[in-house]
Amino acid sequence: METIKNYLESMFLNLPNTPEVYKAKNELLQMMEDKYTELKGSGKSENEAIGIVISEFGNLDELAEDLGIASFIQPNSQMPAGKTLPLEEVKRYLTDYAKHAYLTALGVMLCILSVCGPIFICAAAELSPRNADMLDSLGGASLFVIVAIGVGLLVYSSISVGRWKYLKTERYVTDFATTEYIHRAMESYKSTYAMLLTIGIMLCILSILPSIIFDAIWESSGFWSECSGGLLFILVAIGVFLIVMASMKLGSYTRLLHLNEQGTVGGNYVPGQQSEPQYIDPTTASIMSVFWPTVTCLYLIWSFLTFDWHITWIIWPIASIIHALVKNTMTK
Amino acid sequence: MAISSDVIRGYNDTMILYLLWEKPSYGYEISKQIKTLSNEKYVIKETTLYSAFTRMEKNGYIESFSEQNTDTGKRRTYYRITDAGRQYYREKCDEWILTQEVVEKFILKGDNHYGND
Repeated sequence: METIKNYLESMFLNLPNTPEVYKAKNELLQMMEDKYTELKGSGKSENEAIGIVISEFGNLDELAEDLGIASFIQPNSQMPAGKTLPLEEVKRYLTDYAKHAYLTALGVMLCILSVCGPIFICAAAELSPRNADMLDSLGGASLFVIVAIGVGLLVYSSISVGRWKYLKTERYVTDFATTEYIHRAMESYKSTYAMLLTIGIMLCILSILPSIIFDAIWESSGFWSECSGGLLFILVAIGVFLIVMASMKLGSYTRLLHLNEQGTVGGNYVPGQQSEPQYIDPTTASIMSVFWPTVTCLYLIWSFLTFDWHITWIIWPIASIIHALVKNTMTK
Repeated sequence: MAISSDVIRGYNDTMILYLLWEKPSYGYEISKQIKTLSNEKYVIKETTLYSAFTRMEKNGYIESFSEQNTDTGKRRTYYRITDAGRQYYREKCDEWILTQEVVEKFILKGDNHYGND
């Protein structure tokens, strides 16, 4: 039965994903399933049954007019798609990118952690003022060493996935079975993703806690109070590590699913919310593509020029309202 | 000798409507009945059948509805003939009788097979 399903899916792979096409596919599957079950029941072997069902399936050309898909079936416009990415490659891609996500997250974490060295060593310097100078320079050195390791990891991890660049430059698609494999893998990863993301965000928010607690106990002076800043960065670093790793890994699944064109049946699994809004004219599109960076620049310029931080945040809600308005009125 | 699908295409609708005359039915059952009634001389392709369903539904000759199978619990699309469908079927029957009558005149039979003198 899997074979029949795969056959049908592959026939429909490049058709537009409309309700009519979807219904046709389901109805045809129903008929093929009935026929298959009966053939099996009458003592035919698996292969015989599949052979008969497929040979009596017919041709999608016949449906072209009814489904409004004539332009997709004409031989010259068929297969806008490219080469097929085999399942083994997909699996290797996912392994490579899981490692990439881990290394990148580790690199980012080390960059954040680098500031902890100076903080803790400064705190230690308070305990033994005699060695203060020596400790200070040690702190500075530790910062650079850790940053260097972190950046090294970032560079290494981006080089390690360099061999996958061809997926961006050439047109590739995945067949039905592979797409479903990716989709399943993504679905099963999503719960882990949600958990990692939640813990990561919680750690970032809670990072302020040590400072509050330590300040309350030691009244913002002394060794422990100095350390609390370092603890803040440690919590943030772990949180960011989890967030970066989780979202990068999820990103590798969605990127693979995006290989298939969204409008086609093969692109059925492409996550919908990822699609970019289509603006009616190119001018709006180009303005909107730099909308958020521009808003960020404006916010920073205004804030730093006036130091009115208490009021400059208003730019964000206004910007989102404008963005929503433009998106609703100017899209196709 | 297989039936040319070009010739029979015009009469797929007639066969389907005939089979729906008494009671509603679904895709595979219809294709099975066509096969049996034609003594396995004509096997309708799934795509042909589905295309006929959608076209006739659009023209109002049949209606589709979904029903759960009591045995297997699976949902199936059933088709039911409409009054317009019955009307259309009668017209197609008349048309066939006429067509058959005309074509018959030009068919060689018996001793005259393939024009021996």
